[in-house]
Amino acid sequence: MHLQLITLNGVLVDQEIYELIAPTSAGEIAIFPGHEPLVTLATPGALVVRYHKTDSDEKLDYFAVSGGVIEVNQHAIRVLVDDADYGDDIVEADSKDALERAIKLRDEAKDQIELEKAHQLVDRHGVRLKVAELHRRRRR
Amino acid sequence: MSSTQALKSRIRSVQSTKQITKAMQLVAASKMRRAQEATKLSSPYTLAARQLLTALSTHSAVREHPLFVKRPVKTRLLIVVASDRGLAGAYNSNIFRLYANELKIDDKAGIRNTTITIGRKASQFVTRIKDTEVLGVYEELSDRPGESQLHAILESVRTLFTSGEVDAVDVLYTDFINSVRQDAVMRRVLPAGFEPANEPGVASDVLYEPSVETVLDGIAYRLVGAQIYQALLDARASEHSMRMMAMKSATDNASDLIDDLTLAMNKARQSAITQELAEISGGVEALND
Repeated sequence: MHLQLITLNGVLVDQEIYELIAPTSAGEIAIFPGHEPLVTLATPGALVVRYHKTDSDEKLDYFAVSGGVIEVNQHAIRVLVDDADYGDDIVEADSKDALERAIKLRDEAKDQIELEKAHQLVDRHGVRLKVAELHRRRRR
Repeated sequence: MSSTQALKSRIRSVQSTKQITKAMQLVAASKMRRAQEATKLSSPYTLAARQLLTALSTHSAVREHPLFVKRPVKTRLLIVVASDRGLAGAYNSNIFRLYANELKIDDKAGIRNTTITIGRKASQFVTRIKDTEVLGVYEELSDRPGESQLHAILESVRTLFTSGEVDAVDVLYTDFINSVRQDAVMRRVLPAGFEPANEPGVASDVLYEPSVETVLDGIAYRLVGAQIYQALLDARASEHSMRMMAMKSATDNASDLIDDLTLAMNKARQSAITQELAEISGGVEALND
């Protein structure tokens, strides 16, 4: 099963995989080879990739993704998101700081636009932090 | 003697100007390379979004979707992408010429015109124009406009279009063809256009979750966003490229000027020496007499 993870800043993944766990508007779904054709919306969350059937949980790869579209057919998955970060590239301490800043921003928001923006930031950094933690746990 | 002195100081001033333009040229060149790479990176996204949309186009929901509705154009929104800084050759004036032309067309056709500007030069330009109503001004966008900046523009464009306040949205930007050629162009973003699928029937087996409409909404919104994003990146690459060319010719001109001035200075010095010699020998002649 071929996975393509496409973002506005380039193609992050373009290779054969065995399993994909994706955050969708209807909750997390796991996709295996031979999944029925599906097009669904991705929500901000952790995208989990298992490359081979025999790979243990320690070998999973995590990506923090923003909202987007997931297209599945018999042989290929295409994930189209605005922005994605590979778990290894996220510095946990940085995203923790960013999350705290975003929460502060949200609490101090004066109007609807600021609040909306802050909510997005909180979501985004929350996801990044979660992915960074998942990634760290895996490395142990 | 004073003329050699004046020439010397002119040469010095031209030399320092040359140093500056040379530095700007080098900076623009490296920025251009980065911007060029960024434009390449985002194109798979646009392509994929368009393919998905094509697959969806067999559904009747596409035609009724608020972002695809074609209405008679009574009000048009132009998004003008220019730079924040000058010294980029004809970059800004090319865009403004195209823009002024579009305004004239709208004026003749009796279409109300509204504008969103991106870049300080564009916002300065529209303040001098009466034929349009400015709906938004964006300045100091980074070289790679982040999600939040793009989101703000995209969200206001979507609201304006779906609420029926504007009936069409065009982006005016500079298309980056290669490092020596950039053209000011206009592209329509809304109503979102697409090519209907040639091979029907594939889409019917596909499951859409939660529904065709919501999925369509997500894709259409992203496609429009990707198009605007691509325009911003292209404009940025063009800006750096044109600035590089402008600065290169400025550097070349400065070199030529320095050569000319040096020649003039040497001539002046030589003629001063000749004059002095003539005076001395004239003086000696006078003493001998």
